[in-house]
Amino acid sequence: MSLPVDSSTFTGEVRRTVLDNGLTVLTRELHASPIVSAMIWYRVGSRNEEFGQTGKSHFLEHMLFKGTDRFKKGEIDLLTLKNGGGNNAFTSHDFTAYYFNFASDRWDIALDIEADRMVNCIFAPEEFESEKKVVIEELRMGLDNPWGLLLQEVDATAYKVHPYRNPVIGWQQDVERATAEEQQAYYRKHYHPGNATLVLSGDIDTGRVLEKVAQKFSSLPARAPSAPVTAVEPEQRGEKRLVVEWRSKVPRLAIAYHAPEIAHKDTYALQVLNLILTEGKTSRLYQRLVEREQSVTFISADYGESKDPTLFHFRAEARGEHTAEEIEASLYAEMKSIVSDGVTQRELDRAKHQVEAHFVLSRERAQDQAMLFGQIETLYGLDYIDTYLGKISGTTSEDVMSVCSRYFAEKNRTVGYLVSDGSAGPDDDAEDADEGSSEDL
Amino acid sequence: MKTFDDRIGRSFDVHSHVLGNGLQVLLVENPAVPAVAINASVLAGARHEPEAKAGLAIMASRLLDEGTETRSSLDIAEAIESAGGHLEADGSFERIVVAATVLKQDLDLGLELAADLLIHPIFPEEYIAKEKTRTLAEIASAKDRPQVIAGWAFNEMIYGTHPLHRPSHGYPETVEQMTRRDLIDFHKKFFVPNNTILSIVGDFKISEILPLVEKRFGSWAARPFELPKVLPPVRQTDRREKYITMPAQQLNIYLGHLGVERANPDFYTLQVLDTILGGGAGFTARIPMRLRDEMGLAYTTFASITMTAGLDPGKFVAYIGTSPDNMKLAIEGLLNEIRRIVAEPVTPDELKDAQDFLTGSFVFAFESSSQIARFLTHAHVYGLGFDFIEKYPRLIRSVTAADIARVAQRYLDSENYCLTVVGPVAEDGTILET
Repeated sequence: MSLPVDSSTFTGEVRRTVLDNGLTVLTRELHASPIVSAMIWYRVGSRNEEFGQTGKSHFLEHMLFKGTDRFKKGEIDLLTLKNGGGNNAFTSHDFTAYYFNFASDRWDIALDIEADRMVNCIFAPEEFESEKKVVIEELRMGLDNPWGLLLQEVDATAYKVHPYRNPVIGWQQDVERATAEEQQAYYRKHYHPGNATLVLSGDIDTGRVLEKVAQKFSSLPARAPSAPVTAVEPEQRGEKRLVVEWRSKVPRLAIAYHAPEIAHKDTYALQVLNLILTEGKTSRLYQRLVEREQSVTFISADYGESKDPTLFHFRAEARGEHTAEEIEASLYAEMKSIVSDGVTQRELDRAKHQVEAHFVLSRERAQDQAMLFGQIETLYGLDYIDTYLGKISGTTSEDVMSVCSRYFAEKNRTVGYLVSDGSAGPDDDAEDADEGSSEDL
Repeated sequence: MKTFDDRIGRSFDVHSHVLGNGLQVLLVENPAVPAVAINASVLAGARHEPEAKAGLAIMASRLLDEGTETRSSLDIAEAIESAGGHLEADGSFERIVVAATVLKQDLDLGLELAADLLIHPIFPEEYIAKEKTRTLAEIASAKDRPQVIAGWAFNEMIYGTHPLHRPSHGYPETVEQMTRRDLIDFHKKFFVPNNTILSIVGDFKISEILPLVEKRFGSWAARPFELPKVLPPVRQTDRREKYITMPAQQLNIYLGHLGVERANPDFYTLQVLDTILGGGAGFTARIPMRLRDEMGLAYTTFASITMTAGLDPGKFVAYIGTSPDNMKLAIEGLLNEIRRIVAEPVTPDELKDAQDFLTGSFVFAFESSSQIARFLTHAHVYGLGFDFIEKYPRLIRSVTAADIARVAQRYLDSENYCLTVVGPVAEDGTILET
């Protein structure tokens, strides 16, 4: 099957400019709505953190709102408010990104802010300590989420060497002992024009925008690139299993397989396989686990683009009296049937249509475009998108069988169960409850 | 500070058309991408179901795509997913919505499926049984989240016997007892074209789409129909507190009381108040600025009275998730900000910034076709008028500091409120060791 849409249509609308100091600028005009999305992406994330220093990239993201000489604490948010916009930021294993969305008659303030806070952040010790409390609240909030807890433990087990084993937010003990000085040194090392991509998408005039960008960013000094991350995860030599005890009585299961990084030749077939297994009600695992066996409330998979070899995660939550063991066995049986019998042309066509429609709909919103281009440029380069639909389109049943057999192998997986720690839930009967108290809901 | 033009810079012509059977059709041409968003809303929901049948509306909505007179559950999924489209059926207290997004060339498929789900669902026994076990398991799973437990307990306290006191998906005992008869009766009673709004936005021509809509929805038979009245909830005149023990890292705290309906003439003044007190951009509002940015008590804290306003009065909610040791500081911090906005007028800067924010960020509600389709339904249900886009900036700009003081005194109460705390806390409110 060939897809009517060619990916180069997408990148053809993006202009890529590199300033003398190394800053990459991507511009994408989209005039349907009078909106501009301004994002900046730094090539730094938890991947760059050393042992004992985890959580630094994420903490730094918080500190970038805490003030420079020009924009005092609170002023970035205040300017966003006054201009009727939105702002936020996020950190992953591979990158840290900041965004502003504004109406197109008032967005340039985003350029002033990003140019300034790339180099001029103040790390006032009292601000740092106050924000540390906020970060620890965020971390604790994550631990009250069963999936946050289970996936954190699964990832830490699946990797033994590569920093993808650490949670992006960091280990609590590391965050608690972090200092403003260390944080500032980390900032100086990773925040500079050559390590950043600025993306401007929406109702803009490319020529005028590039002039403004040059005005605001050209004077920022170039700096030497920081040392590359050299850790390579050795091949896993056998299945790893773990059990996490928690307060819930609902069994939950997460399975992680080592899987390749962005643009690896096998990644396309794995993405098609992901859709065939879990996307929509027609998907294999939905039909088997939700419809026929009725053993789960949901089954989902997550395999995203990443800089280094990553994990392909499955998650499922047991329904009624069904067990995690049962769900696990069915998942393996479904994979085995793909390895032996392949997938149908209908399944392949459906997956390809889903990818194509997703691409078309991503062109509707300025921020979706900024997200797509910024992330791919940061991880690899836009030529990944140029060839993407062609490679998805060219995926055959044999390709899917082959990656299913190679990656979804027993020795390549880490299996985590979240099981009851025996404590009482809020509405358990009094005789079951440790505290002897009960609450009606 | 320059003065901005308040127009959102985007206007669209709304084409309103009523079919012979009373179906209200709202159309906007939006050729930005070659796709179409369809939003079909039946104006019935969990607020119309009796206490003993709690969860009926949501269950009915979730079974719409599990089988019709001519299509099996899998046929429906196969048809939409093979086209790379999305189709979902879901419900709330006020509405049951069938929403579809399809590529331009699949417009008729989207209309055909939406019509089939609304007009001809059969609620197969097999799927009712599945949906029950699934809902029960989802309730069990949701109970693992302290924030969910806190939200449910908060609603029970605020709404008394009004339908909004319940979780919209019902209770385990009411879900277990639901029958096919209940679902069929609910469908028969509420699913009529003269109680439905069909909003369609995307890459089509009005002249071409109307015959398609007529073809797919025209034969749906109308019946005389009147929505049942829902008695308004009664606002408390006392303070109510509830502490629920749950081993957790954080305490989840909800504080508030009954709020206002969407139709309340003070709604826009309250939106400005919300922006100053607990919403806005980043951490500019008083509650996040003080409790998060200055005191470091939380990652998430906010307050709002307009967020939940609908056909029924919503609630005024102040929320914080914080470590157990901070409980007293956090509750006192929320109350202090409520007291302050009641007692002292907001500053001219606060007022102007909030107005600039609300009028400037309005444009973000109209970026995608599915957003515009939702807006059309919303505007119709609440009688906002399709010139609402032009009117909105004026409504916000006309709010004064005196108006805010008046509505704060009228609608906010720092004495007679409900407080729910869930986490490592005893029933009497003492903190437990974790």
